[in-house]
Amino acid sequence: MQRLRSLAPGVALGLLVIDLVGMVVLSVARPQFLSTYNLFVTGRDLSILLLVALAQMIVLSLGQMNLSIGSIGGLVAIIESGLMVRYGIPVPLALVAGLLLGIVCGVINGLLVYWTKINSFVLTLGTSYVFAGINLGITHATPFYHIPNEISSFGQARVGAFPIMAAVTIVLTLLLAGFLSQVVLGRQLLAVGGNALAARLSGLPIRRATLTAHAISGFFAAVAGTMLMAQLGQGQPTIGATWVLPSFAGPIIGGAALAGGSAPVLGTVLAMVLISLIDDGLVLVSADPFWVQFLIGALILGAVVLGRTRLSDIRALLRISPGTAHHAGSSP
Amino acid sequence: MSAEPNPLTPEVRLEVAGIRKQFPGVVALDDVSLRLRAGEIHALLGENGAGKSTLIKILTGVYQPDEGEIRLDGSPVRFASPRSALAAGISVVHQERNLIPQFTVAENILLERIPTRGVQLVDHAAINRLARPWIEMVGLDAAPATPVAELSVAQMQLVEIAKALSLQARILLMDEPTAAITPHEVGYLFRILGDLRRRNVALVFVSHKLEEVFELCDRVTVLRDGRNAATDVDVATLDRDQLVTYMIGRAEVIAELPPKPAAGEPVLEVAELTTNRGDAALSFVLQKGEVLGLYGLVGAGRSSLAKTLVGEIRATGGEVRVRGVITHIKSFREALEKYRFGYVSEDRKQEGLILLHSVRANTSITIWRRLRSFGQWITRSKEDAAILPSLRQLDVKAQSLGQSVGTLSGGNQQKVSIAKWLAAKAEILIIDEPTVGIDIKTKNALHELIWDLAANGKSILLISSDMPEVIRLSDRILVMRNHAIVGELPNTHQYDEMSEAIMARLS
Repeated sequence: MQRLRSLAPGVALGLLVIDLVGMVVLSVARPQFLSTYNLFVTGRDLSILLLVALAQMIVLSLGQMNLSIGSIGGLVAIIESGLMVRYGIPVPLALVAGLLLGIVCGVINGLLVYWTKINSFVLTLGTSYVFAGINLGITHATPFYHIPNEISSFGQARVGAFPIMAAVTIVLTLLLAGFLSQVVLGRQLLAVGGNALAARLSGLPIRRATLTAHAISGFFAAVAGTMLMAQLGQGQPTIGATWVLPSFAGPIIGGAALAGGSAPVLGTVLAMVLISLIDDGLVLVSADPFWVQFLIGALILGAVVLGRTRLSDIRALLRISPGTAHHAGSSP
Repeated sequence: MSAEPNPLTPEVRLEVAGIRKQFPGVVALDDVSLRLRAGEIHALLGENGAGKSTLIKILTGVYQPDEGEIRLDGSPVRFASPRSALAAGISVVHQERNLIPQFTVAENILLERIPTRGVQLVDHAAINRLARPWIEMVGLDAAPATPVAELSVAQMQLVEIAKALSLQARILLMDEPTAAITPHEVGYLFRILGDLRRRNVALVFVSHKLEEVFELCDRVTVLRDGRNAATDVDVATLDRDQLVTYMIGRAEVIAELPPKPAAGEPVLEVAELTTNRGDAALSFVLQKGEVLGLYGLVGAGRSSLAKTLVGEIRATGGEVRVRGVITHIKSFREALEKYRFGYVSEDRKQEGLILLHSVRANTSITIWRRLRSFGQWITRSKEDAAILPSLRQLDVKAQSLGQSVGTLSGGNQQKVSIAKWLAAKAEILIIDEPTVGIDIKTKNALHELIWDLAANGKSILLISSDMPEVIRLSDRILVMRNHAIVGELPNTHQYDEMSEAIMARLS
């Protein structure tokens, strides 16, 4: 974790402060923020959206994008619920099938990007329509109702204010952080994202790194889709439809470099906490619901601008002259 | 402050005095002065980090000085932005090309002033017509409508000079213009710069190559640690040693390299190797503990030979034996893991290092697979233990293993890109242009290091277009021209004799 943090030290620290201040302000101004039910609902939404953001972060760390995260989540949710509801497949089997499908979708993205060398934005824009199209073709936009009880009760389960679902997210997040900082393949993946040519000339397997990042992305999207299905209690075809913006907002506010090479897990977590605080706060102060999205946008912009300022201050403190910081390496 | 017109002492066009520039924690420039006359080529020298770039950025309005004065034609000026410096007639040709590759030569030259007709329609005919005189002035052999992407690096440089001239530049700053072009092109560039001098342009020439300063420049200003070490000195009154003393603060000591054991058995035997890059059948042998120099100009096929050896470019014929065994290396990975090749690329920023990542990650990248223990896990302590000996052996200077490589000096970056191969226990090292863009002090250290590696049994193929470097370090020298090896010379380490022999093979 130390290495990950060192890639974006200022961002994570700044976000942590903003998150804490936000929580204090909210709990003072609106005591119902601390109500068990509010914390549960907010935490549950956060658990799902954090996985969505991490699904994007892992691909961003490779220097690529995945626009199909939402469609993968949606497709997985309706396949799982379809298997359970229409074909009576046992729950564990249906879930395994769904999660494998997510991985397969990710691998398809990865293979297409690797083989064709076409920009991942374009390719995943295409596959995103394909996955969403299969979803609609199967469901005709009608949800699979009445999914088995063990799934829908999992969606509502909690210990105090703590949503049981969040445990899944916490475990996956920790695994991902460990994978990126200490596991061979994870570090290879970051190296490929940082400089693919240098990575290849150091003997790293570029294809495996590309496929792994996309497979993880697909897997996280599938878990998020499954969790949202559990929460809703039905296989909604629209699951994932609104995920594109938060998937990018998390890692970008969290300090990810769009060019690749950085994977700020902690920053992404803190950024998603911030976004859910904003979301929840606006509901609690009864902001005009039609303006919520605008306000979130404005706050995100503010947070990003703040984040950048802090980072440059910290660079200055570290005594890196602007020359080296801005055009890394252009020697005098 | 002699601004009176006088035919004997040419007018001082730009005068900079008492410049101070401070960045948080660092004084980049302190009481720096520079005097620049019309019709002179003024060398600006200094080691990496001496402040040359900062000074150039101040002259071109990128930075504002904290103290001090800039006088243009005798009157004080302040450049609030690069635009205002441009408007005052100061242009800079950067090391990195600042052209838009998809645009044509003419469009690039007139980029800020694209002529239009009617309702803002681009007038292509007018662009080409207006750009032509500038293209001719710099002697660029390309039609105005040629896309810049199709030009060579040297031609792109000429486009930038043409662009500067078209902006009525009266002061032209050239930042290491010869770093990426061939000696032939350098000769051409120098003729163009000489022409500009006659046209009364004031030129500032930044370079690491002292030979060029003596060949081209009239006067010289040297910066050291952000201060003037020499100000406005006539180049004719200096010799190389004095100039080096100004730059590094002491006389340059080129220590005699200690004797090293005689080369051992052949480790790499290349016979009649051909590629689809147009290489003639290439044959040579590299022995254990030897430095084999491969001299040739940029474009002679040296780097493509190197990349063929490590499996990046597919060989189409011939035979390569590593330690006596015929090999067909298909990927870099195989070259590294099976045959213990290491490749230090000429372009360390693009091909060698991951600038954003730490010293640790950049060094251990070659051995992650070896370091993993059960469950693919790499422990920090094991990783550090594996790379520290190599980093220490090369004396890499970094604040910590976690410092990002992009913030190290060029010399230390180069050391990291060699250290990763030592960590990987590479036996055959292909080192491509190890000291390009590296200052004199560090260059010497790198030379000693390469020599040490060979003395300790590594076999080194040293690719370089720096003749003193090849002659100093190599046991034998291969000369390459037009994708063919045109000579193999035993090295006597006598510069005059060897350089003549090499040049004879090249002509």
